[in-house]
Amino acid sequence: MGEPAIRVEGLRFSYGSLEALRGISFEVAPGEILGFLGPNGAGKSTTIKILTGQLAPGSGRAEVLGRAVAPDDPVLQARIGVCFEEKNLYDAMSGRENLRFFGRLFGIRDLDADGLLAKVGLAERGRDPVSKYSKGMRQRLMMARALVNTPQVLFLDEPTDGLDPVSSRAIRTLIRGEVERGAAVLLTTHDMFEADELSDRVAFINEGRIHAIDTPENLKLQHGRRAVKVRYRQSGSVTEESVPLDAPDAGERLRAAAGHPGLMTIHTEEATLESIFVEITGRALAG
Amino acid sequence: MSRPVSRWAVVGAIVRKDLLEYGRDRLWVLLTVLVLVVVITLFWVLPAGVEGSVHLGVAGLPDPGEALGGEGLVVVPFASTDELRRVVAGEAEAWLTPAGALVRDPGASEPPPPGAERVSISLGIAFPEGFPEVSEPGRATVYVDAGVPEEMTGALAGLVREVGYRAADVPLPVQVPDGLYVVLGEDRGGEEPSAREGFRPLFVFMTLMMELFAMASLIAKEIHERTVVAVLVTPATVGDVLAAKGIAGAASGFVQAVILLAAINSLSANPGLLLCLLALGALLVAGTAMLAGSSGRDFMSTLFWGMLFMVPLLVPALAALFPGTAAAWVRLLPSYPLVRGLVEVQSSGAGWADTLPELGLLAAWAAGLFGAGWLVLRRRVRSA
Repeated sequence: MGEPAIRVEGLRFSYGSLEALRGISFEVAPGEILGFLGPNGAGKSTTIKILTGQLAPGSGRAEVLGRAVAPDDPVLQARIGVCFEEKNLYDAMSGRENLRFFGRLFGIRDLDADGLLAKVGLAERGRDPVSKYSKGMRQRLMMARALVNTPQVLFLDEPTDGLDPVSSRAIRTLIRGEVERGAAVLLTTHDMFEADELSDRVAFINEGRIHAIDTPENLKLQHGRRAVKVRYRQSGSVTEESVPLDAPDAGERLRAAAGHPGLMTIHTEEATLESIFVEITGRALAG
Repeated sequence: MSRPVSRWAVVGAIVRKDLLEYGRDRLWVLLTVLVLVVVITLFWVLPAGVEGSVHLGVAGLPDPGEALGGEGLVVVPFASTDELRRVVAGEAEAWLTPAGALVRDPGASEPPPPGAERVSISLGIAFPEGFPEVSEPGRATVYVDAGVPEEMTGALAGLVREVGYRAADVPLPVQVPDGLYVVLGEDRGGEEPSAREGFRPLFVFMTLMMELFAMASLIAKEIHERTVVAVLVTPATVGDVLAAKGIAGAASGFVQAVILLAAINSLSANPGLLLCLLALGALLVAGTAMLAGSSGRDFMSTLFWGMLFMVPLLVPALAALFPGTAAAWVRLLPSYPLVRGLVEVQSSGAGWADTLPELGLLAAWAAGLFGAGWLVLRRRVRSA
């Protein structure tokens, strides 16, 4: 594996007496998506603020593309893209004007704003002022803005928040496209399905500490149960039975369940990322 | 990857964006145009000259024009005290002829003599018979119309005493204490500035004030809506953002002030010096806009902070309306050298050398306020 796009080691940060980050460490490789999962106040936004140069790091090491991060570093900021959770767009300007303005900040005079707008499904509304956009349209424009400079590292803070399922799928496809191009992505989300579907690895962060970091599959294997839940109707009532896959008679019991005349459903009892998060941190994600 | 971007390109992009946003804000565009139109119209409606002449009727004094005439005072000799009394009381009308006042009944049918000018006499002095040859002057009577203010009556009484002393060749025992007043521009000792001249600095300030509010509002909005954060995660630095705000604010204020002066035909006297004064004034106002914009959170709070900063700056421009009435502390206000410079150049024809102290002081104030605005806004942007 080559040089990581993001490298964080023992990073600490405090807002006065409040310790927001308590020595977190992780890496994101080029072409990889790391899902950053944690409840509000866990330290996700502080980490992104430090890595994008909005906050000066406290102690520890934080590097993006081999450069120590610091506020006001135009060289580094020319190579990253950020999609904020808040919809901080210029309302009086059109979607096209917003993109062109940000293009000029990156030194791009001939930005294909229409192409970018088409990518996020806003081709028809590019000339309208952003004040007339719906929440979902604003979110898509935020995503397009993050891609203006074809960044090598993308920081995405709740990129599908407030979007309808179709738009969310389009954004996820767009993110995958960026990763295929070789971009590294640090993604924060509350949507467990999204994290599971998109992330190559996920990091569970709570109270300024990373509690676990691994692929979703590994986490599920480590923390979930290898079992199958069988539901069937018998003597007028519904019966539910859990069949551990590691049990010696597992094959025989599954065959019996499959041949049962009242069989209704068979489900795997795979753990969800949310349940694993609660198990590891003792705290719900929504909190 | 995108090409490396120069600082000037970044600052230029932000300035263009700021001006575009300003142009899209209907409220500020409307107010800016409205203020310019109102101010320019007002200027041309105001009288260009000084209407300072007062007609004073005099009876019982031989050759009264020589004894009493002066700047702004037209002496109208009357043949008798009774005629003077009737005219001041409105019972008769007076026509000025080379020979003196011709008194006629209000409803007289015969036409006035050719060349005669109808005059309104609301003040009159009737000297005692035989004055000034008599060894002991008797009582002089002052006739005033009911609408004449009390101060004017007092002044006339003083004038009578002065004539008495002059006739007796005795110097007047009158002293005017000095050092109490600040006179903006040249103290022209009675040569009153016209209303247009007096209002000119105030009009310039009104356009700059609009700019202050508009710029402060845009800055507050950018911070409050956190669009500035989106800008700061690009190659744009905090310094670029602040420089762009300063340039956009100062440039729009400067351009509007220049448009105003051009429209009221006031750029002809030493235009280079005037432009320099306006540029420094616009910089001063841009710094103030940064302070107000950093303090405000919404339209109303920005308006409040803008007023708080702007009202003291307006005082010297208001004082210029009434030369000689401003207190000494007005000299300490940052906008004083700007107003004084404008008055000196436009009303007294002062040049670069004459206004060097004002230019220096204004540059120092502009740098100070711009610096303060920069520091406060930088802190605010960093914490956005």
